[in-house]
Amino acid sequence: MSAVMTRILRDRRSLRGFRAVTATALLLLAAGSASAHHSATMFEQTKQITVEGVVKEFQYTNPHSWLLVDVKDKNGKVTTWGFEAEGPSTLQRAGIRPSVFPAGTKVTMTGRPMKDGTPAAIWVLAVRDDGKKFDPRAGFAVK
Amino acid sequence: MKLASIVATSALLIGTALLVNTLRAEDAADTRLRMIDLGKQHKTAESLYAALKEQAHGGRRLTPSTAPDWSGVYTRARGGITFDPDQPQGGPPTAKLTPEFQTRLTKRIEDADKGIEWDPISTCSPPGHPRWLTEPFLRDFVVTPDQTYLINEMMNDIRRIYTDGRDHVNKEDRYPLYNGDSVGFWDGDKLVIHTNQLHSGIYQRRNPDYTDQVETVEIWHKTSPKLIEVDVWVYDPPALVEPWYTKQSYAKLDDQGKSLRIRYWHCGENQNNAVVETEGGGTQFKDFTFDGPGSGSQGPGTGGKQ
Repeated sequence: MSAVMTRILRDRRSLRGFRAVTATALLLLAAGSASAHHSATMFEQTKQITVEGVVKEFQYTNPHSWLLVDVKDKNGKVTTWGFEAEGPSTLQRAGIRPSVFPAGTKVTMTGRPMKDGTPAAIWVLAVRDDGKKFDPRAGFAVK
Repeated sequence: MKLASIVATSALLIGTALLVNTLRAEDAADTRLRMIDLGKQHKTAESLYAALKEQAHGGRRLTPSTAPDWSGVYTRARGGITFDPDQPQGGPPTAKLTPEFQTRLTKRIEDADKGIEWDPISTCSPPGHPRWLTEPFLRDFVVTPDQTYLINEMMNDIRRIYTDGRDHVNKEDRYPLYNGDSVGFWDGDKLVIHTNQLHSGIYQRRNPDYTDQVETVEIWHKTSPKLIEVDVWVYDPPALVEPWYTKQSYAKLDDQGKSLRIRYWHCGENQNNAVVETEGGGTQFKDFTFDGPGSGSQGPGTGGKQ
């Protein structure tokens, strides 16, 4: 079994907590309006995961974008992972445009996962199957 | 012999560079101390602003031909999302706080270290000034004779600085505003600004609170073709025991391909960004909708099909 698959299975196990999200949500304050530009404390600060999959959709939006990636486990079950990054202007400065990740692109994603096991992570690095790497934080560089 | 000469020359060059850097650092430290002292000489922002205006003999009025060229797209050059760019790495904010506000700050940092953090702008409100100075996104600055527009792309946030000689709104007619009321004058090519009538808020995550009594004095100066530097004094008697001086800076970005654009920023475009505050004061996503194309976007033209 490949190291990547091992990681995927480990993360699949953590997805058991996914169903608990609905219950957890009941414990949250009903803050009402949609909100957006948020703290990242719901993500692990140092732990990283890596998964392989194909791009399902690139939500290129403010204040945060989401790259949705379908990840298949060894039994063929597909889970959609979301990788959160900054908004369009920062991504553009990192060379990450909507056309870079059309649906169906094979990609290896590294990110800092959510603490509660939800299949979502802060996007740290994306590597396309042509070997090209994309780091959204590079968009903050002053050049 | 030739090698020895190269080594000696290299050592001389490196030594000179180190000396220059050391002298620059010492100059910057001296300047900072002078600026801190200048702030402390005045009990209010209004007093400091008046003194600067008197020193500039009332300032000068711009004409279209004398307006400085601040065109281009800029971003914050130093500081990340810390209010004071000169805050020591890993250290606490440099503000001298009253005991109540120090206690609040200590708790905020301790909570954040435990993963408990809620940012008030998570509800899509603008950051407000003085936090406006710290946001790490794109900016542009438009100088006209009667007004200067300081624009941050985040939340389409514009500060309007009136330089046409008008004064602030009468005290009895003031009410809190996210970016306050700003008047200014030009001292040579420096724009001096006084801002009052502000909302309470936070300087940044892991930074102190400010109250609706906060006022600022700023001196904006384009110090090189690619850098605008800003001396900022914040006065806020309930929270600060003395004015908080910081030096902010904004770097002009290379845009050789003319690809940089500041666009409309709607913070509720994608419901996958929606968060709620937990009972313990933390942040949690409200829900995800990763199913189906365009699942998270809420407006026309957004989503992954561009």
